[in-house]
Amino acid sequence: MTKIIDLKIKEKTYKSKKSQISILNNFNLEVNVGEKIAIIGESGVGKSSLLNIIGLLDENYNGEYTLFGVPTDTLHTRELAEWRNKKVGFVLQESSLINSLTIEDNIKLPLLYAGSKKKEFKAKDFDNIVDTIGIKSILKKKPLECSGGEKARAVFARGVIMRPLIILADEPTASLDVENKERIINLLFKMNEEFNTTIITVTHDLEIANRHDRIIRLERRK
Amino acid sequence: MKIFKFITTKIFLRKAILGIGLVLLLFMSNYVTFTVARSIISVAQGYEETKDINQKDTYIANLDPNSQINTISEDEIQAVYDYINVNFKYAFYTDGFIESVPKIDDTKILFGYMNEEYYNLYKFQLSQGKDLYFDYQFDDEIPVLVGEGLSKTYPVGSKIKIEKSIIGQPITLKVQGILKKNAYHSNYYALNSKIYYNFSILVPINKEFINRANMDLKLNGLMDLIVIKSTRDETIHLSNFIKNNLGLKFNFFSQEENYDYFNNYYIQSLKIMIIITLILLIVMTCLSLWNALVSVRLMLKDFTINLLVGLSYSKLRQIFYSYFGLLSFINVIIIFIITAFSRYGYWLRKETNIATYGLFGLIEMDWLGLLCVVILNIIIVIIISENMLRKIKKVPISLGVLQ
Repeated sequence: MTKIIDLKIKEKTYKSKKSQISILNNFNLEVNVGEKIAIIGESGVGKSSLLNIIGLLDENYNGEYTLFGVPTDTLHTRELAEWRNKKVGFVLQESSLINSLTIEDNIKLPLLYAGSKKKEFKAKDFDNIVDTIGIKSILKKKPLECSGGEKARAVFARGVIMRPLIILADEPTASLDVENKERIINLLFKMNEEFNTTIITVTHDLEIANRHDRIIRLERRK
Repeated sequence: MKIFKFITTKIFLRKAILGIGLVLLLFMSNYVTFTVARSIISVAQGYEETKDINQKDTYIANLDPNSQINTISEDEIQAVYDYINVNFKYAFYTDGFIESVPKIDDTKILFGYMNEEYYNLYKFQLSQGKDLYFDYQFDDEIPVLVGEGLSKTYPVGSKIKIEKSIIGQPITLKVQGILKKNAYHSNYYALNSKIYYNFSILVPINKEFINRANMDLKLNGLMDLIVIKSTRDETIHLSNFIKNNLGLKFNFFSQEENYDYFNNYYIQSLKIMIIITLILLIVMTCLSLWNALVSVRLMLKDFTINLLVGLSYSKLRQIFYSYFGLLSFINVIIIFIITAFSRYGYWLRKETNIATYGLFGLIEMDWLGLLCVVILNIIIVIIISENMLRKIKKVPISLGVLQ
């Protein structure tokens, strides 16, 4: 199995004027290509912080991170952004759409930041993705005009339009009904089956967590 | 382009009033800089032009502002010139006389009169023709220099017949040379002020011409009379002589004293202008930073989503530079248009003493002024963009924002 993520965090701290909070102490994570991993744990243990680090949004931690065989501290901020655009897809909660843009523009947002060749290639994928997910009818609508399920699918479409190697899903089903929850998880796993995409899901839902290959439970330091 | 449009509308134009305020401030600072730069260039030209009269033994007449001009007779003023002719070497120059010139109907042609000393002192640059000579006969043709604006109607060698001349008899002028485009004469006391000779005729005069000339020429000639190779005491005597004969008090200052007088008020106003520019720059920087930070905080969610899908801080820097670069460019264009219209307006209003020639209507000092604005804008764009980016980087971006 090819290792895609090799993360060794000694400590991640958040400082305020009065206090300092330390999380993810001596946390190590290795992930292979095509693995499905669920991260669970109570609020405040650092689940989203972990995704920030894995998703190249946060570089302020004490530790080492090798992604796709490249130490991330050697990457320029421009390269980090390019990797976030092309190699890492974020599937977030339904509220993570830009309300001033149409659903179509929201989904196509990553294409804005892609190079022209990639843009052309991915534009062809857009129709396939929209058809598969079943949101063709809402493309011209604004997020506030859509239901929670529709928005969740739009967020999913945006996360996968660049066909990333890793999908980071942060509570993607948190506010969805059972039917839509099932739909989103199925779409995620379909990506994994068809393209061997690595899936890392942060969730509170144990039922969903159990459907992953591995569950990592984060706990508060005692 | 879409990213640029998205970020600019979301950050800079989110609060229209701030966006418009910024544009106005930028325009004000640009315009002040442009005006100051042009003024400094004009002063430098004035210094360059007057450097030859800035001699220890050279004094320039100046009518005391408290003097009142009463009735002066021909004999009285002639007596003054007789005294000067005997006792002093002097450069005589006076201009602004409007005469009717054949073949030119609706344009005021300005006549300037100068003696040989003045001509030698100023070394007029010609684009065509030959130097003037001063030992002409009145019944013959009088050699003159004409401005660029008259060169087509009156090329070198052509003749201009003046029926009602300043010496009370018809005279014939012969164009001896064409002055270089935008040739000018600076004011001795206000070096940033000048008149242009594009529609002027410069007539050489000698002592006989002055003797025959009317009161206007003689009196105006005294106003800027330059006394050469003289002493302070001699000028005091001359001042007393004029006072006794004409009842007018004339002061005689060296050009160094004129410079000091000018600098007294000019440097002060220059300082004020520079302080205004600096204040505007600081206000603009603060306003842009505040605007950007408020907008980024208001759209933190949208901003985070953009960072998630590929926006980088270096891309953001590019966008900031492009946005402020575009604003600066628009401002420079606006100033260019205003200046071009202003210069064109002089032609439309036939203000021949300030009508000039230039590329797109702008003369050298305008282009240099615009260059200063461009340099200032580059500095402003760097300061604002880098500060905005530094501040925005401090805003914590995380997935937590989206929950």
